[in-house]
Amino acid sequence: MKIAFTTKGREWQSEMEPRFGRTDYILIYDEDKDTLIIFDNCEAKSHEHGAGPTVAKILIENGVNVLITGNGPGGNAIEVLKKSSIEVYSGAIEMSVKEAYDKYKNKKLPRF
Amino acid sequence: MKEIVVISGKGGTGKTSMVASFACLAKKDAVLADCDVDAADLHLLLESDFSFEEDFYSGELAFIDKSICRNCGRCAKVCRFDAIDFCELKYTVDEISCEGCGYCARVCIPNAITMNKRNVGKWYISTIKTGAQMVHAKLGIGAENSGKLVAKVKSEAKKIAQRNNLKYVIIDGSPGIGCPVVSSLSGANFVVLVTEPTQSGLHDLKRVYGVVEKFNLKAGCIINKCDINDIVAEEIEFFLREKKIEHIGSLPHSPSFTQAMIEGLSVVEYTDIELKKAVCLCWDKIEKIINKKECVE
Repeated sequence: MKIAFTTKGREWQSEMEPRFGRTDYILIYDEDKDTLIIFDNCEAKSHEHGAGPTVAKILIENGVNVLITGNGPGGNAIEVLKKSSIEVYSGAIEMSVKEAYDKYKNKKLPRF
Repeated sequence: MKEIVVISGKGGTGKTSMVASFACLAKKDAVLADCDVDAADLHLLLESDFSFEEDFYSGELAFIDKSICRNCGRCAKVCRFDAIDFCELKYTVDEISCEGCGYCARVCIPNAITMNKRNVGKWYISTIKTGAQMVHAKLGIGAENSGKLVAKVKSEAKKIAQRNNLKYVIIDGSPGIGCPVVSSLSGANFVVLVTEPTQSGLHDLKRVYGVVEKFNLKAGCIINKCDINDIVAEEIEFFLREKKIEHIGSLPHSPSFTQAMIEGLSVVEYTDIELKKAVCLCWDKIEKIINKKECVE
């Protein structure tokens, strides 16, 4: 399973970012290989519109299965994500990436 | 630091008047952010001094290098925005019509067209009359607000709040339900909806609440001009109960709102004591709600 997080930093200890499209970083954790890939989201952030759908595209292109984020994607981004099989979980606010992952594992995060 | 976003959906409900009042009540505890950049006006009520300014770039703009251009006209033919004019025997880009799609640059054989970053306006950090800081922006002619600009204004305001360990960031949100509103709302700790009892007031409240609800944000509502239509006012209250939105308060219709504005004052600085009391109660209630722990759940 590949799990993506919207974050303010580059590590497991970094804080989760409530924004989706204009998040600072996207971390993708590959559970099978136990690797963490870091995406600097400066490109999508520089779009004047449509940052959300751009990030959705990045997730799909990287074969992500699960997205964990704060407030949740906006209307346009969710339309893109619906076309994929990515499961979206929200509510990961004011916690570290590690905590968000544990909450997800314990089924404590709401499905968006 | 708590982020309070004030939005209305419909224009003219008194959103900015409320934000200015909250700014005067929160004094130095708050940083202000005016994300209603299409028609920014909060600075008029708060006496912003525009002490720091910086250009803001967003999107792209085509530029034709006339020394390379061979006047073939392919660019003008493909442009879907009719943004390439032929005048004085030269092709030029109409900067207001250009949407920055880059189609012209792609079809130009001698590569005479480059896509440059578009300067859409300026953003500012001001000290306002309460001594607090405010982040805001002004757009150039023909430029439009964007999620990017809202994100910039918000993140600069948050930086100031974090650096100075302040209690609140108060955000004058963008209108509508599009990209700038999504950008205004995400990350908020509490949303204040300002509405009025008119059909469009109620309709737009429901519409914008749809976005708030999706983001799972805690919200409260102020019904301004509550006495202009009792039936719709009741409908609004019913909607608030149904959606479990906190009814922060109701304010009567009052010419003092406009009068205060004309004098460049917020409602709480104006001589109407009754109205001032009512607005102060609203702010007290917001503070109480937001400082009750866990507004994000």
